[in-house]
Amino acid sequence: MNMKKLLAVVLCLAMLLPVIALGEGDGRVHITYSFWGNQTEAESVQAALDAYNASQDKVFVEPMQIPNEQYTETLVNYAIANQLPDCGMVNENAVLYFSRNGVMADVSDMFAGEELQPMDCITFKDAGVPVGYSSSNEILILYYNKDMFDAANEPYPSADTPYTWDEFVAVARRLTFDENGKHPDEEGFDPGKIVQYGAFVNNWTWQMEVWALSNGGAWFSEDGNEVLINSPEAIESIQKVADLALVEHVAPLNVIPEDNGIGVGIGSGTVAMTTDGTWRLGTDFPNLGINYGIAPLPAMKEEVTICTSGLTGVFKGAHQQEAYDFVKWYTREESNWEALVLTGIWMPKSEYYYKTEEGINAWLGNEAYPFKDLETGKKVLVDYTMNNAKSACWYFTPNTQITTNEILFTALQSVWSGERTAEDVINEIYPELVEAIVVD
Amino acid sequence: MSKRGMIRYNRQETRAAWLLLLPSVIGLICITYLPMLASFALSLFSWNGLGEMKFIGLDNYIRLFTNDSKFYGSLLTTLEYAGISVLGSIVYSMIIALLLNRKVPARGFFRAVFYLPYVLPALAVYLGWKWLYDFNHGFFNYVIKLAGGTSVKFLDSSALVTPSLSLIAVWLSGNLIVIFLAGLQNVPRTYHEAAEIDGANSWQRFWKITIPCMTPIIFYNLLMSLVSNLQVITPALSLTKGGPGTGSYFMCYMLYTQAFKSHKYGYGSAISVILFVLIAIFTGILFSTSGSWIFYEGDDRE
Repeated sequence: MNMKKLLAVVLCLAMLLPVIALGEGDGRVHITYSFWGNQTEAESVQAALDAYNASQDKVFVEPMQIPNEQYTETLVNYAIANQLPDCGMVNENAVLYFSRNGVMADVSDMFAGEELQPMDCITFKDAGVPVGYSSSNEILILYYNKDMFDAANEPYPSADTPYTWDEFVAVARRLTFDENGKHPDEEGFDPGKIVQYGAFVNNWTWQMEVWALSNGGAWFSEDGNEVLINSPEAIESIQKVADLALVEHVAPLNVIPEDNGIGVGIGSGTVAMTTDGTWRLGTDFPNLGINYGIAPLPAMKEEVTICTSGLTGVFKGAHQQEAYDFVKWYTREESNWEALVLTGIWMPKSEYYYKTEEGINAWLGNEAYPFKDLETGKKVLVDYTMNNAKSACWYFTPNTQITTNEILFTALQSVWSGERTAEDVINEIYPELVEAIVVD
Repeated sequence: MSKRGMIRYNRQETRAAWLLLLPSVIGLICITYLPMLASFALSLFSWNGLGEMKFIGLDNYIRLFTNDSKFYGSLLTTLEYAGISVLGSIVYSMIIALLLNRKVPARGFFRAVFYLPYVLPALAVYLGWKWLYDFNHGFFNYVIKLAGGTSVKFLDSSALVTPSLSLIAVWLSGNLIVIFLAGLQNVPRTYHEAAEIDGANSWQRFWKITIPCMTPIIFYNLLMSLVSNLQVITPALSLTKGGPGTGSYFMCYMLYTQAFKSHKYGYGSAISVILFVLIAIFTGILFSTSGSWIFYEGDDRE
């Protein structure tokens, strides 16, 4: 055999090596868990999987990372090819879509008889029947920059009593000034040369639902069958948020919303107050270096916030039972305690952590928790969740991947830019929304 | 070689050619033509990706034309964008190519400079422009405010968003410049010299010699530019998400969101079929008129 042939044979054998190494010769059932996230999140997922894989010798869970932007469409492609992972994260707006189309296994008994019960607020329901539980709980709150309040001699927002909308706008006005130090209600104020904005209400589409509730309206009926966004209350709530930038000149313009509320708002260093989700306590604020505080959302008529969080779903398939057991283990607070709960990214999903002193102190009182003010935390994170949080619409309304994510997202941009009124836009798209929530 | 041997040799060669072509033919059929047929078939169905497929005939098309508030907006936006971008890039690239074709100092350097945008990663380019255009903190508005003007909503108004995005497309048209340059170098010097002796000024020479000699290249650039600009999607995906209104709701973006974000695969396919027909029509118009304005050297026509 000459050298060339020898080399060829060696290379061919080398190519076979990984195939041999990947063989599932360990006698375990191998299942796949899919998720989205950045490198840090991938590492924390891997840590949790390692712990599970080490805890028993029957099942081996392998991670499958999919980019967030294409997550749902990738899963759908896998489903069409009959190649779905055994379990995985599911975007909130796709939960009812997956469950109604028979892709997800029934997990309604997952926590039956358990000591730790997931809160009702984060239970996905299809026509009233539970179909899945979020892995954590997140609510929308108000973040504020303490230094900007101090500089304006303005008292901090109360953790007990939320601002009324008018108070919120008034405070925002006092915190807004142009390059000559003039406020929006002063003569000579130049809205084209604003140096500091008082407020930014995150207009990322799904977060806008809370203002309809706050104004005494809703986007959808609680059985998920009716579109109510054309009520005067719901329409007015959208217009009021848009007017913060357009009429009051207390907020930066954000015509094409992305998941960028912190960046446009308080994180830019030029905005004093911003509404956003509680996961920001862990994902953003530790790196922002802003002396911040938290408060309940301003209330138009009702004191209300919405809760939401992604779901870890079990997909139907040959290893459904193994996946079910893993998901049950994985979505316990304990399994993600250090990586996700104590870092401030997840708030617990079980009532125990909100209703008992012991449970509350376990996370909120923990030294590692990024938000250090326990008393404020109890009011704004715990009591606010227990007393004022309602499920976001995708917990009970089908096809939000069409309604909120597509139709409303595109249409509302004309409201944010000030080209059309909320009333005009909502009335125009109302028939499309009604048609879209009808289940195929 | 005998005649028979020649035939056998030819046949062998043909067989070898087919064998070698096979992978690309299979590829073309499997990744281009079959999916095209499939998406046409899919456009006659209602399908959400996971559930049952329901045959609904032409309903998707009827809906698009009669009952979709965004479809006509999307169509117009796409045409407006393609129109401005194609004309803009052809004129811009022609001017730059003419300048670069002269004996300017550091010509090679400038050629690279104008070609560079074309090879930059698209996403990076669009994110850079996003910062330039931004309403609150953008560079353009910073300059405008310094000069005493008021901020302009480059991407935040439905009237300005399409021209603003077209400007990026024009800026990105470095590939057209390169092709024009190659064409300019092929314009025979003798024509110019003869015209010069006859007393034609440079403007006359440009209109009567350069442009006619360049028409085949202009045609090619026009065609390529038109097809790619009608299929625009990246600026909507990376910058504007289709808005405001339908200001950047390009047809490709619409079909992408309808099919892959809203899971209306049949509906999205119908849009793709319409886009295909639209491109076919424009290409057809371009080809059918080409005989009357393209000048081929060695051609006898006036």
